Amino acid sequence: MIVSARTTSSAHAVEIFRTERGAVYQCDATQRLILDFWDTHTALSTRDFAQFRRMVNTIDVQQMALSTGSAYDVEILAPPRSERCYVLTLCEIIHLRELLNGSQLMLDLNSMLRECGCSLTSIA
Amino acid sequence: MKDLVRLRTSVKESVELALNQQIQMEMVSSSKYLAMAGWCDRNGFDYSAGFFYKQSEEERSHAMKIFHYLSDQGGTAHSPEVPAVEQEFDSLRAVFEGALEQEIAVTDSINRIIVICRRENDFATDELMKWFVKEQMEEEYIARRCLDLFDQIPADQIFELDKQLASVTYDGAPFGE
Ligand SMILES: [Fe+2]
Ligand SMILES: [Fe+2]
Repeated sequence: MIVSARTTSSAHAVEIFRTERGAVYQCDATQRLILDFWDTHTALSTRDFAQFRRMVNTIDVQQMALSTGSAYDVEILAPPRSERCYVLTLCEIIHLRELLNGSQLMLDLNSMLRECGCSLTSIA
Repeated sequence: MKDLVRLRTSVKESVELALNQQIQMEMVSSSKYLAMAGWCDRNGFDYSAGFFYKQSEEERSHAMKIFHYLSDQGGTAHSPEVPAVEQEFDSLRAVFEGALEQEIAVTDSINRIIVICRRENDFATDELMKWFVKEQMEEEYIARRCLDLFDQIPADQIFELDKQLASVTYDGAPFGE
C-alpha cells in the first residue's frame, strides 16, 4: 500500500525520526509506519518495517564498495507486501540505514517509556 | 502515541535475534547428528546409528519448539540456513567426542540467551529457556557417560560397546522428574 504522507500525517501521523534524506511517521489510526524517503511514501506495518530494516541492514556494503562489477553498483530492494521497489546506491543504503535505525531507536524509546508508565505523546 | 512494537509482539528485537540464532544452532545440531548417524550406519555400528538418528530428530524438535514460540509471541521466526557439516569421522570415539562438544556449545548458547532475557525483563522467554537448561543437563550427561564407556569397555568388544552406548539414559534425579 502506498499512501501520501501528507494526507496521513496531517490527521494522525506523528514524525518519529528525521534525517536530511527522509523521515518516518507513525500513524496510530492505521497502526502503520510511513517511510518518507527520496520523495516516496510507503506505509508499512511494524512487522514489515522490521523486516525491511533487516533487509537494509544485511546488505553487504563492503562488497558493494570493493567490487568493480556493475552488478554491485546498486541493490534492488522491495519492502515486504508493498508495490514499492528501491534501487539503491551504496550512499543511499547508508542514508536509509541511518533513517531506519534511528526510527527503531525512537520506537524502542517509546516502548521503554510505556513500560515505566510515561508516554511520548507529550513530547511529540 | 501507541507503542506499535509492543502491540505487535512481546519479544524484544535482541531476544528475537538470539532465538533465531538458536533455531539455526539446533538445526545445525540436527544436521551434524544425522551425519554421525549415517557414518555409524555405514560402519556397522547399528545401535549408535539408531542413537544419533533419534538425536537428530530431537534437535529438530528443539528448533521447532523455539520457532513456534517465537511465532506465537508475534515475533518473526526464520527458517535457518544450515551450512555443510562434516560427514567423515576418524573413529566411533571421535563421533561421540564431537557430540559432547556440540552439546557444550549449545549449553553455552542457551545460557547466553538467558542473560539477554534477564537484561530485557523477558520472563516468558526465560521460562522457555529453563526447559532447555534441563534438556542440556541431560544431553551433556549422556554424551559424557558415553565417552566413559569407551574407557570401561575393552576395545575388542566393539559390538558390546556399540550396544551399551545406545542404552545410556539420564534419570533427571536432581529435579526429581
Ligand atoms: Fe538441542
Ligand atoms: Fe542436544
